[in-house]
Amino acid sequence: MRKKCFLTLALAALMALSLAACGGEEAKRQETTVRYGIAGAWDSLMPYNSVSASNYARLIYDKLYDRLVFVHEDGSLSPRAAESWESVDGGMAAVFHLNQNAVFHDGVPATAQCWVDTFRLMTNPECPTLGRSQFSVFAGTDENGAALSDGSVAAEALDEWTLKLTFKSITTPEEFLLARNREFYVLPMHLLEDVAPADVMAMPLWEAPVGSGPLMFEEELVGSRLTLTANTDYQLGAPGFDKLVITVMDKSSLLTSLISGDLDYYAIGASVSDENAEAARQAGLTVLEGEVPTSFFELMLNNETVPAPIRQAIDLALDKELLCEQNTGELGVVTDTSMLSGAGHSTWRRDVGAAKELVASTPMDTRELMLATTSNRAGLAALMQQNLAEAGITVTIETVDSATLFSGMTDGAYDLAIASHTPSALPLWFTESRLKPGNNIFHIGEEALQRYAVELSAIHNAADDEARGAAIKALEEHLAEEKPFLPLWFARSLHVQSPTVEGIDYGSASCSNENVWAWSKA
Amino acid sequence: MAQYLIKRILTAVPVFFGITLAVFLMLQAAPGTAADLAGAGEFTSADQQAVEAALGLDQPLPIRYLRWLSGLLRFDLGRSFQSGRAVMPVIAQRIAPSLLLTGTGVLLAVAAALPLGVLSACRPHGLLDRVSTAVAFAGSGLPGFFVSLLAVYFFAVRLRLLPASGMYTAGGSGTVGDLLRHLVLPACVIALSNFGSLLKQTRSACMEVFSEPFMQSARSRGIGAWAVVVRHGFRNALPPVLTTVLGHIPHLIGGSMVVECIFGWPGMGSLMLAAIRSRDYAIAMGVTVLVALAVLGANLLLDVLYGIADPRVSYTRSGQ
Repeated sequence: MRKKCFLTLALAALMALSLAACGGEEAKRQETTVRYGIAGAWDSLMPYNSVSASNYARLIYDKLYDRLVFVHEDGSLSPRAAESWESVDGGMAAVFHLNQNAVFHDGVPATAQCWVDTFRLMTNPECPTLGRSQFSVFAGTDENGAALSDGSVAAEALDEWTLKLTFKSITTPEEFLLARNREFYVLPMHLLEDVAPADVMAMPLWEAPVGSGPLMFEEELVGSRLTLTANTDYQLGAPGFDKLVITVMDKSSLLTSLISGDLDYYAIGASVSDENAEAARQAGLTVLEGEVPTSFFELMLNNETVPAPIRQAIDLALDKELLCEQNTGELGVVTDTSMLSGAGHSTWRRDVGAAKELVASTPMDTRELMLATTSNRAGLAALMQQNLAEAGITVTIETVDSATLFSGMTDGAYDLAIASHTPSALPLWFTESRLKPGNNIFHIGEEALQRYAVELSAIHNAADDEARGAAIKALEEHLAEEKPFLPLWFARSLHVQSPTVEGIDYGSASCSNENVWAWSKA
Repeated sequence: MAQYLIKRILTAVPVFFGITLAVFLMLQAAPGTAADLAGAGEFTSADQQAVEAALGLDQPLPIRYLRWLSGLLRFDLGRSFQSGRAVMPVIAQRIAPSLLLTGTGVLLAVAAALPLGVLSACRPHGLLDRVSTAVAFAGSGLPGFFVSLLAVYFFAVRLRLLPASGMYTAGGSGTVGDLLRHLVLPACVIALSNFGSLLKQTRSACMEVFSEPFMQSARSRGIGAWAVVVRHGFRNALPPVLTTVLGHIPHLIGGSMVVECIFGWPGMGSLMLAAIRSRDYAIAMGVTVLVALAVLGANLLLDVLYGIADPRVSYTRSGQ
């Protein structure tokens, strides 16, 4: 009898467990999860405490926190936290009309005052903000972006939903947004009250952050996996899925994981090389071609060790067309400038004879130059080495990782280095930051730097478009003459279309934002 | 024995601190810091200085090491340069996945290599010996990344039988079955790469022991063939095999960088690789501490097990 009773109880318990498990399975089956792969880990989940300020980190912040606008691949802007914007005070300021439905994940409205308070806190010299120089465009800050006095940063809440930002020089809202939109987020200031500015970055809040972005924090396996849930109250609409699970994996595994069905999408824009695009097509995936260039390749030069005639000789000796074709297939276009508007208008011609003459007539301590490259561009470096050898320039290649490459260029250990960047539609997107004394990675001489500073200032202070165009032309001519760096080519991207998720604006990922609120998974 | 162990532990202390100092210096000697990587070329020198100050990189080298050491003595390994999170919990999250993956891989390798090694030694140059030696050569000779990519290509991309990456299906129910499906490929790759050394060690140790006179003597006393092999032969061949098996303990803790990275396995190996790439010295030092402890612990364990496996080993006299 006791045995039977025990058996009955055991069976009942088993059935109850099975039913509970079935119920759980059922509930989970109804949940839709977008599986997102990323090749690099993000930083702290506090956007103003990002050590690397890499695109991987920015793409995470983009989902948790809100930005003013959404930037499309072609440089056009769509509303996000700001519904509309206008230039005021003769171009010295911009007014943003914020979306009145914007709320933080805990339900508190994300008002203009939240933006103002965020800017005031991050420009407070006592707050250990990383990348603070981004704030230096605003009036009331010094050249490093720190407030000149308590709360002096020129950010103002005209009313609950109107934000005014005043700049140091004439800047249209579009210029400001194209250049800086990805750097500014609104923080939940109501959760930072009574916290000393010096202690803000160490708050436990950033381990489970509250933002006002389209996705909400759920859990994190640091440096490996991040689970976010859809913010159904997001002002632009709720994402068409329940969860987004972001997993860090090796770059080489992203496409294979997409093909095998382990992933739905991968950062950045599911971009793929020309060779891998064929593999993706063979696996039955659709490959989309980007419409505008998403990468700019340059040869970084150490202006101290490589004199101007040799820099000119390198430009003449390199077979840019061949290098571009090798690297991008038919998606690249050789350029003389870092300006996107110059893509496709190159006047560059290879002239090895002229390069030889320049080399022969230029005294140099040593003809052997050190070229640094990352391993994925070693083939490109070898081709460059051959090209330069034809002109009598001997190059030794050193294959290093990114950290070594950038530190080697900064320290002057390398003479040349191959680098690529994501371009912006703004004419000065590249030159402005590189030609400043605070970021002298090209080791440009003091005199030349001052001349560049004058030219950059002339561009900013130009009275009208015509004067601005003339000032830009003068800078470009100076750059063509001096060649502090060598623009190589612009390249468009190929994107592997996800078979499981719809609504993805693939190209916009190159602008460090993704329209996740428009994504839907069946 | 106890005296010997105490002596070994006391010797291990300076060795441990020596390892931490050596690794600390090597990390600092590597070109570039987290501050150099900061801002992807867009940070100004003031921004970089702010990063250096936030990470303590603006301090002289001896101060940095002493600060780290004083933290270690308080069981505080500092904060990750990249994520800003305390190092200990970050590492703690990664130990179990590494133990599971590498442990399964090594267990599979041991389970296959030990019996095959004994059987190969019993019939050297026989069919089984030739086949297992060929597999061992392939396993030892082919680089782990290549085998991993082949495995992903065939089993995940072509046949779509097994997942290509991760520990669980993202958003899935996280069942044991799901975990096992994700474990199969990386564990087999680890097993294959460890199989060769284990097989060779077992085979050669057994062959050496099998030719000893006491084995002939055991056979002549009429003891069954398998009893002679297992009880007399294998037991005597065990010490060198144990050395090889226990040599894998640090890998169990430290994980397999390449395999974890390719299969997106959230273990210690992938953590260490990411830390080196991003110059996250705090994480790299934290992993080093753990691996150093594992190596020293494994050596100690090996000494103890030697004594158990081979009664001729004695710890009573000094110097042994």
